[in-house]
Amino acid sequence: MLSAHRVVRSFGSTLALAGVDLVVRPGEIVGLAGANGAGKSTLIGILSGALAPTSGRVEVDGVEVSFSSPEDAARAGVATVQQDVDAALVPTLTVAENLVLDRVATGALGALPSRRRIRAAAAEIAGHGLPLDAQVGELRTSEKQQLLIARALHRGARVLILDEPTAALSVAEQRELHERVRELAAAGTAVVYITHHLGELAALCDRVVVLREGRVVDEFARPLEASAVVSAMLGEVSAIGYRARETGGEIVLSGRGLRALPDSPEVDLVLHEGEVLGITGLLGAGKTELLAQLVGAAPLLAGELTLDGEPYRPRHPGDAIRAGVGFVPEDRRGQAEVPDWDVARTLTLPDLRRYSRLGLLDGRAERAAAAEAIERLRIVASGPRAGIASLSGGNRQKVVVARWIAAGSRVLVLDEPFRGIDLGARADIAALLRSGGVRAAIVASSDPEEILEVADRILILADGAVAGGVRPDEVDADGLAALMAPALAREPLPEGHAA
Amino acid sequence: MSARIGTAVYRYGLLALLVAFVVYFAATEPAFGTWRNALVILQSVAITAIVALGVTISLTIGGFDLSIGSTVSFVVMLASAAQVYLSLGPVWAVVIGLAAGALVGLLNGVLVVYARVPDLLATLGTMFVFAGLSLVITGGQSVSAGATFLGRPSEGRISEGFLWLGRGDLLGIPFPIIVALVLGVVVTVFLGRSRIGRVLAAIGGNAEAARLAGARVGRYRILAYVLSGLLASVGGILLTARLGRGDVGAGGDYLLETVAAALIGFAVLGANRPNGFGTLIGALFVGILLNGLTMKNVPYYTQDLIKGALLVGALVLSFSALFRRKERA
Repeated sequence: MLSAHRVVRSFGSTLALAGVDLVVRPGEIVGLAGANGAGKSTLIGILSGALAPTSGRVEVDGVEVSFSSPEDAARAGVATVQQDVDAALVPTLTVAENLVLDRVATGALGALPSRRRIRAAAAEIAGHGLPLDAQVGELRTSEKQQLLIARALHRGARVLILDEPTAALSVAEQRELHERVRELAAAGTAVVYITHHLGELAALCDRVVVLREGRVVDEFARPLEASAVVSAMLGEVSAIGYRARETGGEIVLSGRGLRALPDSPEVDLVLHEGEVLGITGLLGAGKTELLAQLVGAAPLLAGELTLDGEPYRPRHPGDAIRAGVGFVPEDRRGQAEVPDWDVARTLTLPDLRRYSRLGLLDGRAERAAAAEAIERLRIVASGPRAGIASLSGGNRQKVVVARWIAAGSRVLVLDEPFRGIDLGARADIAALLRSGGVRAAIVASSDPEEILEVADRILILADGAVAGGVRPDEVDADGLAALMAPALAREPLPEGHAA
Repeated sequence: MSARIGTAVYRYGLLALLVAFVVYFAATEPAFGTWRNALVILQSVAITAIVALGVTISLTIGGFDLSIGSTVSFVVMLASAAQVYLSLGPVWAVVIGLAAGALVGLLNGVLVVYARVPDLLATLGTMFVFAGLSLVITGGQSVSAGATFLGRPSEGRISEGFLWLGRGDLLGIPFPIIVALVLGVVVTVFLGRSRIGRVLAAIGGNAEAARLAGARVGRYRILAYVLSGLLASVGGILLTARLGRGDVGAGGDYLLETVAAALIGFAVLGANRPNGFGTLIGALFVGILLNGLTMKNVPYYTQDLIKGALLVGALVLSFSALFRRKERA
């Protein structure tokens, strides 16, 4: 019904899709999986008409199509429900008005359709227990999704693309959505279902297509084997010699009764002197949320923290920094760098008092500190005054890490520090953490290989809960990947659903 | 090669244009190139420059202060009313004026930071509030000796000492020019070299990065608006002293001129960001252009058109520079 052939899409010099083939047949639910940056969003963009392919073709019923917009695709029968449901709805209008929005906009219901005509037209479409007179802004996310699905089907969608539909839903709402999707498939609609949750892929999809680095790397039919899917998503993981060290020195940082996510079970964690604690788990496991609480970037949801035995309760990142806890955030460009700044400024930002006298900055001292960092961390830069944007991703990350070394931080908390950086930079940063650049560090990463390379001890999170703890010498990357995917066990396969 | 020419044009183009204007006006209008006229221009530019330095600070944090002109008007009213209506001395008039400016800034900052009103809308609101308040205080009339207050003619007057602030000179240089130069240096050093200035620039560049690096972003934002209001009040006090009375809406023109000056300042010497020195040059640019065109008998009622066009030009210049910066990042 819907198919893509050798679809290539590049952004500038980056190749987001390197020739993808995908076929979706009527009545089939196809899962689309892949790690961040695998090309899922790009592929959806092309199928939904939001992006044009650089080369290759998309066909509907064997006829080549070239969508100019998502509207255009919807008219051809390919409808997409984006993860951000609000983008497609007008919050100040009622459910009924939103359902017939296209016909109101085009005047198909008359120039000024009466409330009664709108309601009648909407009732014809919905029939799924949606509160027609409620304002859309007051609906729950799941209701908005229902609304969008109903609207799409009414417009004649025969292919429905659902992008991370369950990301904001409760478990009960997820079940309802799954039911609805199965009904639609049984009635002949083709469904493309994108999710990070392996449990959903296993429970719902007839086939799972895995993307990695812009290519389809594998395809799985029921029943799904979780570790195989995870390995396909994350790539060949080589077995390296792990150098886990004996831990058990003095406790530097400890947390009791913490919560990664508001409704998740309690998490305890302990960080010893000289130790690198790895926290791993799939996207959405709660790593980022937990780390943000350790450094005062987000309010502590529950529990207590101590630092060197003293109560530690950072209400602001500034509190954490003063206490000696540095933070390397997940999104370097969005959360750590100031555009247009040079290496020296980027380095000194968290610790400006060190470089100022009577409120005025000593540029020479700043540059000296930057030169030292460049030397120590082997940062490839033309000098302290080099623009941060002129450095490669790995070197930029080194500058962000070096901030905390220069500031004399005791504990370093790093969220996905190796994402998008080269292996050399990764090895340098890992070596720094392990060689006493700081007293102890916590590193979060969803990549088993990275975690195994850097951590002395590994905590596995799944849906905000501790799913296990291992030492790097007890497990290899494949094994760790399998441990990260425990959600699979929890949602049983529905009975009577034909594969 | 062409890239280098482009950079040179970007760096020095504005200064070159400024020199070209001066040469052209001086060559065609003998009255333009005199020391006397230079002082006239600098004196009219001085207050614009001071207020524009405040705009520069709010632009540094990525904010925008539309209420700046109203703040000037409000301070003019208060400083004159304090002396005329209440018979207070010049020192009190200055203190009240500065406090009022700081309070307007504080209100703007609180609205933006704590009430989370977008800066343009918050300062649009306070712009009308303080313009209106100026009218209410004075009953819509000009504040000068003998003006009626609470039904009686008031007995106070604006003292000689206060008037000197706007009209006097030191070593032959009018006092407002000296204030503008001193504040220009102070703001340039503050934004370019001080710890607080660096944090303000970090907030303007990436507020989340500044927060995660420990900056209390809300407090710095409020500080920036307070400093902006404070500089507007310095401008208002000097303007009162120059006018010698509290004219309704005296500060009305300053919004347009100061924003244009600060935005033109982005491009001076290729700074690519708000900076004190650039703002002084920007104010001079606006002043020279208006003075020269007046001498060339361009009618005064075209001034707003010229200023508006200048503002659009400055916006294009600074925002295309911002875009260039984003693309590089």
